[in-house]
Amino acid sequence: MIRNSRAKRFSVVSTAVIAAALTLSTLPAQAADPGVTASEIKLGYSGPLTGSAGLVYGKLPGGMKAYFDHINANGGVYGRKINLIIKDDKYLPTLAATQTTNLVLRDNVFALVGALGTPTHTKAYAAASLAKKNVPDLFVNTGFSGFANKSKYPTAFMVLPSYAMEAKIIAKFIKDTPALAPQASFLIAQDDEFGVDGINGFKLGGHTFTAAPTLYPQNGLSAALAEGALTKLSAVPGKPILILFGTTDTTATILKAAEKLDLVSKFTWLAGSVGGDANTLLALGVKPATINGALAASFFPDAKDSTDPYVSEFMKINAKYNTGVSFDNTVLQGMNSAMLTVQALRAAGKNLTRAGVMKAIESKGASFASAGLVPLNYSATSRVGYNGYWFGQLNEKGELKPYGGKLAVFTTDSSSTEAPTASTYVRKTVPKNGVPTNS
Amino acid sequence: MNQFITAVLTSLSSGAIYALMSISLVLVWRSTRVINFAQAAQAVLTTYIGYEVITRSGSFWLGLIVAVIAGGIIGAGIDILFMREIFKRASTGPIAMIAPVVATTALLGVIYSLIGFIWGISYKTIEAPVSTNGLSIFGSVVAFSPFNLLVLITVTISMVVLTILFQKTNIGLALRASAHAPEISKLSGIKVDAVRTLGWAIAGGAGSLAGMLYIPGSYLYPNSMAVLLVFGFIAAVIGGLDSLFGAVAGAMVLGFAINFSASYVSYKLVFPTAFVILILVLLIKPNGIFSSGKGRRD
Amino acid sequence: MSKVVTAKKRLFAFILLGWVLLIFSDRVGELTQYRGAFVATYALAIASIILLTGYSGQLSLGHSALMAVGAYAGALTINNLKLHPVVGLIAAALVAGVFGLVFGYAAARLSGPYLAGTTLALAVSLPTIANQFPILGGEQGLLFDVGAPPTRLGEEFSQYQWFFWISCLSALIMIWLLVNLLNSRYGREFRALRDNPIAAQLAGINTGLQKAMAFGLSAGIAGLSGGLLVMLISGVSPSAFPLSLSFLLLAGAVITGVYGLGGVMIGGVILVAIPEIAESIAIALGGSEGFTISLPDFMVGSLVILTVLFTPYGIGGQLHKLKHHKH
Repeated sequence: MIRNSRAKRFSVVSTAVIAAALTLSTLPAQAADPGVTASEIKLGYSGPLTGSAGLVYGKLPGGMKAYFDHINANGGVYGRKINLIIKDDKYLPTLAATQTTNLVLRDNVFALVGALGTPTHTKAYAAASLAKKNVPDLFVNTGFSGFANKSKYPTAFMVLPSYAMEAKIIAKFIKDTPALAPQASFLIAQDDEFGVDGINGFKLGGHTFTAAPTLYPQNGLSAALAEGALTKLSAVPGKPILILFGTTDTTATILKAAEKLDLVSKFTWLAGSVGGDANTLLALGVKPATINGALAASFFPDAKDSTDPYVSEFMKINAKYNTGVSFDNTVLQGMNSAMLTVQALRAAGKNLTRAGVMKAIESKGASFASAGLVPLNYSATSRVGYNGYWFGQLNEKGELKPYGGKLAVFTTDSSSTEAPTASTYVRKTVPKNGVPTNS
Repeated sequence: MNQFITAVLTSLSSGAIYALMSISLVLVWRSTRVINFAQAAQAVLTTYIGYEVITRSGSFWLGLIVAVIAGGIIGAGIDILFMREIFKRASTGPIAMIAPVVATTALLGVIYSLIGFIWGISYKTIEAPVSTNGLSIFGSVVAFSPFNLLVLITVTISMVVLTILFQKTNIGLALRASAHAPEISKLSGIKVDAVRTLGWAIAGGAGSLAGMLYIPGSYLYPNSMAVLLVFGFIAAVIGGLDSLFGAVAGAMVLGFAINFSASYVSYKLVFPTAFVILILVLLIKPNGIFSSGKGRRD
Repeated sequence: MSKVVTAKKRLFAFILLGWVLLIFSDRVGELTQYRGAFVATYALAIASIILLTGYSGQLSLGHSALMAVGAYAGALTINNLKLHPVVGLIAAALVAGVFGLVFGYAAARLSGPYLAGTTLALAVSLPTIANQFPILGGEQGLLFDVGAPPTRLGEEFSQYQWFFWISCLSALIMIWLLVNLLNSRYGREFRALRDNPIAAQLAGINTGLQKAMAFGLSAGIAGLSGGLLVMLISGVSPSAFPLSLSFLLLAGAVITGVYGLGGVMIGGVILVAIPEIAESIAIALGGSEGFTISLPDFMVGSLVILTVLFTPYGIGGQLHKLKHHKH
């Protein structure tokens, strides 16, 4: 048994040793805004690269980096090269908090870009003192509407439409479509902010489901359970609408269970934006015939649509700077956020400061060029990015085409019961060679 | 009625899958008195090997055979290179209980990382060797496919074969003796070390079988058997770690509990149900349903 | 007589350690203060495992769940009962302790792997319960805010230094109490329980109750460390307490040395430092994405394996052996 005075002495000694080691590893503070030098701008990303969330979003930072490499090869931002530091947080809040704090305190990034995950980033934002240190948190990749709250997250800018917005627009779409409106509808959702925000949004949209939503824990919906759930729902007459709000692997599990039970044509499938990437679904073994006719909402052009000018520019950049990675909706999302970031950095001027870049987004962000088919809503009072969706139908090749052949975009908000309104938004032309020249 | 029948069928297929894992965990326990958390990682690793064989040869069965053989070799390798050392050095006191568990857990992490190094982290799929479409009974499609039937049959055969091996053969006797009383076994002339390695090899092979039959119903990525490991362990504990029949029975109990509570109560309760069933069983029988009366002090 | 002197020496040593840490916190940057707070938190969590396993011989894979119980209790106390954060931390320890006592009593009949299995099931199922009751905040979780440092400490006093003070103070007090306990009759009873339960029963020790008490105590300490952990990430949510945390703590306990509390601080440092070092190496070496992501886990796992193989009594045990080499 260790005698305790010795153990304590030992602890004191070890403290001293550890103290020396750790002290030597801290960096001195910098005078001007950190992360900016005459030749470089350091940006940081923290998000899941593994697991179910990684399956959906793992390609995002790579897409961002590829775009930044393209910009760096074309003169950078006023001569400064962008250096993106990417951290994997495995979708764990503790890891996200430490990674983000490291990015701010150790790597001294100028700003965070594209941070991903709601339970993770809400903790990381506070832990890394982003508000106190005035670190810009640009284009956060979550559908959690809370990030638009300026008093709680003063340096955060959303980009994705919220899950509540998505649900409201789905509700309106169902109401307005004669083939769908009279049918029964059900929601199968992940038991976290996807599901909860979504349920709230459907309520705001005035939509009632035929039964209470089926919620399952993350990683907790096995094939057997999916089969049980679908069998129960198959007892409902007609052609019920099944709305799936979850990650792609679970969406695939549910669709494959439907294939097994020969229930694919029994339901109208509606995949939420998070788990609805057709390429991934096909790669996970879902049959093309199954996704044929499935409905999905999007706010981007389809990643397979090479006739779209933004998509074709991004595809070129992907081929050149992101070799080995196939271009899909996630890569598109990443590159688009990166393009917004570059425009924000440019608009802040040659004398780049943190306050400056945030002001630039507030005043000019709404007019940035972006691939989105819905408007950006940045202003002095609004931190909301995209706020709308259009509805499409998947075909056997996994291409999303506008429902009924005509593109119809709707915009809305996250908290009111007002119905979504049709939008006449027209995108700005894609910058030449994908390199913005705004100021 | 349809809901009830479906619940029964899905419980059977779930239970069969948990049984795959619980059998291999009980195998390791019966032959070495170690809870091998790395079992899942070994299973995934050999499934990746099977995946490579399938991709090149187009045959699932060839991949299965290679995977099981690889599983046996890797299991034996882990015992020779790793577990023997641990037992030599950490053999008394609480460290004896905790060291193997921690070591196999660390091994789990190391093997997962190696898989990430070699194959990357993206999701892959393996196609089942037989149809995964539901069987058509009296005109309607039920939630049970030829593949589910294959898994169930495999589990039953494994359980029977392995029970015969352990209870009725000399090798089985040697395995059990080496695990319970190594010193006495040595005196009786049993090569304890070699027998233990054999136990690890058999368990490794069983784990590979589990992986190759589980993955076609799910996806292949480094961490893909994590949930199965947890449920498999809980199932083994419910059934009693000393009984292979218990491993299967425990898995069935767990499968029924989870599927019925999901179907009739809520899908949110998957994990709490497992916990509640486990606690209920252990309150009545602290060593599992099919434990042999008085528990052994391990 | 000598016992009182030892107790006094012990108290003095702890106070001295506290002063050293205080001075240390003034001299280093925010990042080190933040990391130091994590070190203290993990050291405390490791101490709870050492108590349970090293001293009373029970193996638990569910300490992440016990930490979660403490964390949620603390958060609810601060947010809903609107009490001071210190009360919140005390509540974290108490609630988790009572929970552990009840659980330990129910599980007292379970031997090695059966207890392990039960605690494993606890670890995976307890966090999901947070989604069932709206008051627990679902997946978003609850806020855990200890507030800004008091103004009389000056403007330069950062939030991270405040975290460091709170976690180190909590850890020091708790571990000091624990060490005193382990040197008392209770400590001897625990060890008797671990080494020879039958003899312990014959000596009149109620083994079931003792096991439950050890579990409750361990749970209380774990609950406090859970409260500290969510203080550091400013909020509690189910995903902050994954099963892997239980295994991480177990690994930390083995590396520290499961028999004594002397090295818990080193265990804490290792849990904090190794992933960071591994990440730096991964970045320096470059390589494919799969490699970079997997290397940190590989290094942590390998370190644990090497420890188990070559120093099964952990670093603390190793140094203890060196000191007592005269035998």
